[in-house]
Amino acid sequence: MSDHPVTIKAVHPPLPERLRELVASDLGSYVLAVVLIVLPLLVSGSWMFAIGVCFANAIGVLAVSFLVRYGGEVSIGHAFFAAVGAYSVAILDTRFGLSLLVSVPLALVLGVVTGVAFAWPSRKLSGIYLAVSTMALALAVPELINNTDALTGGYEGLYVSKPLIPGLPMSFQRYYVALAVLIAVVFALARFRHSRQGLTILLSKAHPAAADAFGTRQVWARCAVLGISGGIAALCGAMLAFAGSTVSPSGFTLWSSIFLLVGSVVSFYGLTLARALIGGAFLTLVPQFLSASGAWIPVFYGLALLGMILLGHYLPRLKEMMARHGGTA
Amino acid sequence: MNDVLRDLFPLAWSGMITGCLYALGAMGLVMIFKSSRVVNFSHGNVAGFAAFLIYGFSSGVLLDLSWGAAVLLTIVAVVAIACLTYAVIAPLVFDSDLTATIATLGIGLIAQGATLLIFGADIVSLDLPIPRFSTSVLGLRITGYDLTVLGVAIVTIGALFFVIDYTKLGIAFRAISENSFAAEVCGLNLRSIHLFSWVVAAVLGVVGALLIVPTTFLSVTTVAAFMLQAFAAAVIGGFASLPGSLIGGILIGVLMNLFTFYVSPQFSSTFLLCIILLALNIFPNGILARVGGSRV
Amino acid sequence: MMDVATKSLTGQGIALSFGGIEVLKGLDVEFRAGEITGLIGPNGAGKTSLFNCLTGAYHPQKGAISYAGHSLEGLPPAARAQKGIVRSFQHVALSPDLTVLENVMIGVARNYHSGWLHAFLPTVRGRHEKAEMRADAERALAELGLAKAADKMPSELPPGMLRLVEIARAIVGRPAVLMLDEPAAGLNNSETRDLMRSLSALASPDLVMVVVEHDMDLVMSICDRIYVLNFGAFVACGTPAEVRSNEEVVRIYLGSDDD
Ligand SMILES: Nc1ncnc2c1ncn2[C@@H]1O[C@H](COP(=O)(O)OP(=O)(O)OP(=O)(O)O)[C@@H](O)[C@H]1O
Ligand SMILES: [Mg+2]
Repeated sequence: MSDHPVTIKAVHPPLPERLRELVASDLGSYVLAVVLIVLPLLVSGSWMFAIGVCFANAIGVLAVSFLVRYGGEVSIGHAFFAAVGAYSVAILDTRFGLSLLVSVPLALVLGVVTGVAFAWPSRKLSGIYLAVSTMALALAVPELINNTDALTGGYEGLYVSKPLIPGLPMSFQRYYVALAVLIAVVFALARFRHSRQGLTILLSKAHPAAADAFGTRQVWARCAVLGISGGIAALCGAMLAFAGSTVSPSGFTLWSSIFLLVGSVVSFYGLTLARALIGGAFLTLVPQFLSASGAWIPVFYGLALLGMILLGHYLPRLKEMMARHGGTA
Repeated sequence: MNDVLRDLFPLAWSGMITGCLYALGAMGLVMIFKSSRVVNFSHGNVAGFAAFLIYGFSSGVLLDLSWGAAVLLTIVAVVAIACLTYAVIAPLVFDSDLTATIATLGIGLIAQGATLLIFGADIVSLDLPIPRFSTSVLGLRITGYDLTVLGVAIVTIGALFFVIDYTKLGIAFRAISENSFAAEVCGLNLRSIHLFSWVVAAVLGVVGALLIVPTTFLSVTTVAAFMLQAFAAAVIGGFASLPGSLIGGILIGVLMNLFTFYVSPQFSSTFLLCIILLALNIFPNGILARVGGSRV
Repeated sequence: MMDVATKSLTGQGIALSFGGIEVLKGLDVEFRAGEITGLIGPNGAGKTSLFNCLTGAYHPQKGAISYAGHSLEGLPPAARAQKGIVRSFQHVALSPDLTVLENVMIGVARNYHSGWLHAFLPTVRGRHEKAEMRADAERALAELGLAKAADKMPSELPPGMLRLVEIARAIVGRPAVLMLDEPAAGLNNSETRDLMRSLSALASPDLVMVVVEHDMDLVMSICDRIYVLNFGAFVACGTPAEVRSNEEVVRIYLGSDDD
């Protein structure tokens, strides 16, 4: 016991190392955030709009990556939760004249509730079985929207126009609100990694029985992960509605869900600001560049998905080989 | 009451016919899953691409062949695609089945894009040389299409079971799906059997796609949408059982028919979602599953 | 005396079978507080299965399990953990995504109850709680001589060290019942001696400690009582001296182990 203070000191890495870590993680995010905050001064209006949508998609990518990182599960149904968020915003805006101040919290709550509501019946499923049932979830979305057109506007969709802060130009609001929500989500997830709940959920992913033996039920972990992931996806939907200004069922198909997964894979399931933006940019900017011939979009996404997966598969092996060669030479 | 019964039989009959096709699709998924633990999400898109190829080869868009030649050529093409797909995915299969499964989504996207690029987003009609007649048996209208589907399904499924039960490759396939590690230790070549299942699945997909097209028209999404019901069928059957997926297919066919007729045609996908969730929860391992414990 | 007896973990007639194979054949056990109980037996005897029944991971077909006089019937593992019944795993079960320190922090998680808001936001309470958990975990690691490994990832440590981390996670939350499944497997002689010292130091009048172990030196020197299990049934129970001189035990277990 006498060496207690000494050991605590030894536990912390030396200062230069910590500085390097800071640069690699937090500082990088701060710099990137500052760049994004001043970016509208440099780019044109249409770019600002596209980047705003990119922020929204980045949030969706985070939702899928969170599920992979903390649940070890893959979803191809996150468009469902995104639709929940998007229509919360759009319906409150167009039917009740309420601003984001009300609708975003509602979207978050509904996203969490639907996430948990889906987690409960699928609590015993994992891996490919869960992936298949999330697929079914995504399939149901467009017809649910289309057949409740009195509320959702059916095929035609809804136009979101109510500003958060009256008087400020709407184009700036669409950009900055989406950016603020994205940064908030990244920040909250960074806290979560070190929280009690985050730790136990990560153990539950690797060894459910062990987590169970220390007081974390597997069902609880599953509901928590899907609840959080659903909530984030709903925020993505809310921001897609606000930053993208319209919602319609064509934005929430099975393909949208698959694209979110593609974004997540392309960002290597990262939960940092930079990684999320890579995924979001991929989802937003690729269609923009390929807009002349839409048929190339699925081909490109498919190739990118395969490419990243194969890269993720071969890169460690290549590195190992290089290291071995370097070691012997 | 009488009315209900009068509708019920024709609905069940036509549901069973489509159900056979769902079963063909489901069996392809199950074959691949049983051998390599991969859920092939590209199944529907590749089969859809195949249907378009048949159209392209026989209508003069690509070639102007006779119908039979077009089908043959398409099957050759699809087998090639299956081999190519497996070549891409093979290194992943031994690493993580989930990663390999995600990779099949990529293949599906490419197949979808290829269809769009070559054939465009328009709807085309693909006619099959199917005998056109219909008779009435006990008040049930039975058409040439019904009998063709039934005949083809029985022959295909019969051939499949024969191959699996009696040929060397089929026996190896069964050994691997029981215990791939033990099978490999015994000197079976996993890759060649994986490839066998991918190729068989692709052919089953073509047959299913070809037969479903006459009921609707052919567009980029028709076959993919059809394969989603096949997914549900496979899930109900436990995803690892060929007889299970046959039962699942027929069950889905009949249930969907009844649901759209009696309840609502608009919410069929939602109904499918409920069936899948229910089936996965009541029978997490499928209807015909055996029970087993897990270890700590 | 009365007090000690009521704090024990008891099982009566625990019977467990898998598909017709009887793994446990109606076991009566009493693990007393204040004692270190050893549970020994050849491979496949059912030691881990008994642990699994006591912690709720397995559901025995017959039998009653109670702690401190209260039945544990129907309680899932997580609820038993909440009562302080904690175990280590024979096959190391640490999260590869977490550092050693974080893995150990999970062992105290059940004693803290801050809500979700504190998990996502940098609140004072959340930070305070984390610091406390951290300090607890650092202390437990230091007790087992692992202070230097705190910030390493599990993949960077040898298997013996991982087992110690596993033990640190079990002891950090001040358990009421501590069940260790082969804690010394993979440790070298000096590490085993350190572990023995730590375990002896851990013993307290309120703690029920059960150790499954194949290392006879460890069991014989730290245990107060020893149960010997073979083919799912007890063949002997008593002090180390009694067990050592029991012919049956020598024949089925110690004898085969010595040569
Ligand atoms: N989940 C299970 N399903 C089927 N059989 C099981 C299961 N768990 C344990 N068994 C069987 O119960 C018997 C006892 O196993 P257990 O792991 O309890 O032995 P043990 O005494 O811990 O052995 P060891 O010293 O090797 O750890 C073994 O024959 C084992 O095969
Ligand atoms: Mg054991």
